[in-house]
Amino acid sequence: MEKPKLIIDGKRLDGRSLDEMRPLKIQAGVLNKADGSAYVEWGANKVLAAVYGPRECIPRHDASPYRAVIHCRYLMAPFSTLDEHGRSGPNRRSIEVSKVIKEVFENVVMTEKFPKTAIDIFIEVLQADGGTRCAGITAAAVALADAGIPMKDLPCAVAVGKIENEVAVDSGKLEDNYGDGDMPIAIAPRNNELLLLQMDGMFTKDELRKALELAFSVFPKINALQVEALRAHYAVKKDEVDRGD
Amino acid sequence: MDILDEIKKDYVIDLMKKEKRPDDRGFLDYRPCTVEKGIFDSAEGSARVKLGKTQVVVGVKIDVGMPFKDRPEEGVLSTTAELLPLASPTFEPGPPDESAIELARIVDRGIRSSNALDLNSLFIEKDKVLMVFVDIYVLDHDGNLIDASALAAMAALLSARLPKYEDGHLIRTERNDNLKVTQKVVTCTFSKIDSHIVLDPGLDEEKAMSARLTLATTPEHVCAMQKGGSGAFTRDELMSLIDISFEKGNELRKLLD
Amino acid sequence: MMVIWMARIVVPGELLAGSPQRIEFAYVENGRTYSSVLGLFDEANPRVIPLEGPYMPAQYDIIVGIVNEVKFAGYNIDINSPYRGFLSAKDSRYEHKLGDVISAKIVEVDEVKNVDLEGARSLKDGEIIEISPAKIPRVIGKKNSMLDMIRDATKSEIFVGKNGRIWILGGNSALAVRTILKVEKEAHTTGLTERISDFLKQEVSK
Repeated sequence: MEKPKLIIDGKRLDGRSLDEMRPLKIQAGVLNKADGSAYVEWGANKVLAAVYGPRECIPRHDASPYRAVIHCRYLMAPFSTLDEHGRSGPNRRSIEVSKVIKEVFENVVMTEKFPKTAIDIFIEVLQADGGTRCAGITAAAVALADAGIPMKDLPCAVAVGKIENEVAVDSGKLEDNYGDGDMPIAIAPRNNELLLLQMDGMFTKDELRKALELAFSVFPKINALQVEALRAHYAVKKDEVDRGD
Repeated sequence: MDILDEIKKDYVIDLMKKEKRPDDRGFLDYRPCTVEKGIFDSAEGSARVKLGKTQVVVGVKIDVGMPFKDRPEEGVLSTTAELLPLASPTFEPGPPDESAIELARIVDRGIRSSNALDLNSLFIEKDKVLMVFVDIYVLDHDGNLIDASALAAMAALLSARLPKYEDGHLIRTERNDNLKVTQKVVTCTFSKIDSHIVLDPGLDEEKAMSARLTLATTPEHVCAMQKGGSGAFTRDELMSLIDISFEKGNELRKLLD
Repeated sequence: MMVIWMARIVVPGELLAGSPQRIEFAYVENGRTYSSVLGLFDEANPRVIPLEGPYMPAQYDIIVGIVNEVKFAGYNIDINSPYRGFLSAKDSRYEHKLGDVISAKIVEVDEVKNVDLEGARSLKDGEIIEISPAKIPRVIGKKNSMLDMIRDATKSEIFVGKNGRIWILGGNSALAVRTILKVEKEAHTTGLTERISDFLKQEVSK
């Protein structure tokens, strides 16, 4: 396929401006068995996250006497892209992505409260449209909260791309494939610290600064949708509680 | 293991508070670093990097093969890393774990996104391209495997000579041209220990760090980044580390000449 | 009479106070207090009530456990928690076998979360349901009011473990199960006791 023109008259292929993110929908508590779960639709991404634990750590020798260990498994379904049937199971990319996502949650989960246990995070990308790891992080944060796991914060993430020499927020799949760079970022909203930072492409320092600015301009929106999803899930059970508990 | 690490960690953090590093370097100093090119005749390209007591060798092998379907006119670059059990008591035999995979992918990303190895130059004819395999072998682990590996990979690519191609085969005994290498990409890796940031962490420092940040640069651009560890960086820290990486990157590039 | 207060749903990392405060399920950072869980925040009498979460064993809790390993020295007991309980054979009046359901009291939890049990009693036959441990206080109700109401209406024998497991025997046990699940689902709404009372009356008269 020829490289399509990614920006025409200041608009991107899907009509967005450079600083505009795709529609994002988040739902909490979508699975029955899991301790916590969330479903995210972000552009054409469809991503499911589930959390089990804290529970007994298997294998046992992985366990720490100081804290819970976090396991993370991020996977793309073999039918998740328009390309040919993918191979199921982990590959080198998904193992790396799983590792950096795990490190995001090691930052916020109060693992010291649960020594000797494991907290398992499962992220299944059912349909991929660019930015799946960011969608996965955004979903997993909601799933962890839904599981009642103590955390310092509710991380959220977005990728900033470089297309046609412009920096644009929330890259879609075509922008990812034919663009000149991609920079996924995850933060802790309470203090804006960077929990995940990856990049490939050719960025000048000014472009990196601009990319950060764009990401930080959409983080509050993403975070608000996460909070709203959790509140909506508990709406039946909310509002008032008697003091007698 | 876990318990000893916790003790060492406290020791390193205490030192940092006194503005000192375990080996008395400045916070932004590299350990002594040497680069040797062409250390194996068997491989088309090779190099050894010693960074302090960390030692990494890289072999580059070149084969003929099929291009990827979505990139029919480009050669293939494949980068892997082996954390050999002889390099550290914590490395176990077996398939690459997440650390080895991450290491290889960071090195690969810097080379790939800067187009340091010109993949178009590896095209031979329809459905036939050269494949370049970069194998990173970690021989001795004393911290900062990323920078040592990236430097060794770049040096090995620079040293590589293409075997003669005839009738669909490579004649490995006759080597002529160099690989077409357009850029010298180097990485700078920083560790955050308590609230301090140091360049080129040694093993003790890596055990004490909360987070790690690697920036791959060419003289003008940052071409890959990777944060590791459970800690965090602020935006201001990132911006200042970009400046430092450009500056220190130029020093590293000289070692590749 | 029930005292009613408005509660705000808070999420991990949500600012609760600009000053440092000691609140369970909250933490202090740089002089500010943040929630660490998804919960309800009572501003008037600062506390966070988690909406979900695992059962964390605590001394003197009465739990419903299941024997999952029989050893020479005693029994490993599954207590619906990240941690296992241990019932010493010495402290056990009866012999238990794999899969037995028991009630027991937690006598000690040490710093590495070893959980010692005592006073085990077999809970024979009947059925067991698991609900979120965070909702157990509502199933019991103020001064046992909710539990007594369910027992009266269903004539079932009901034993509630702090660990989210409830054992039910005899009477209209199907109704007891449905009622308890309803309490779990609506645990944090007002007028719950009244609604459950109406529900039971309606169901019993069917």
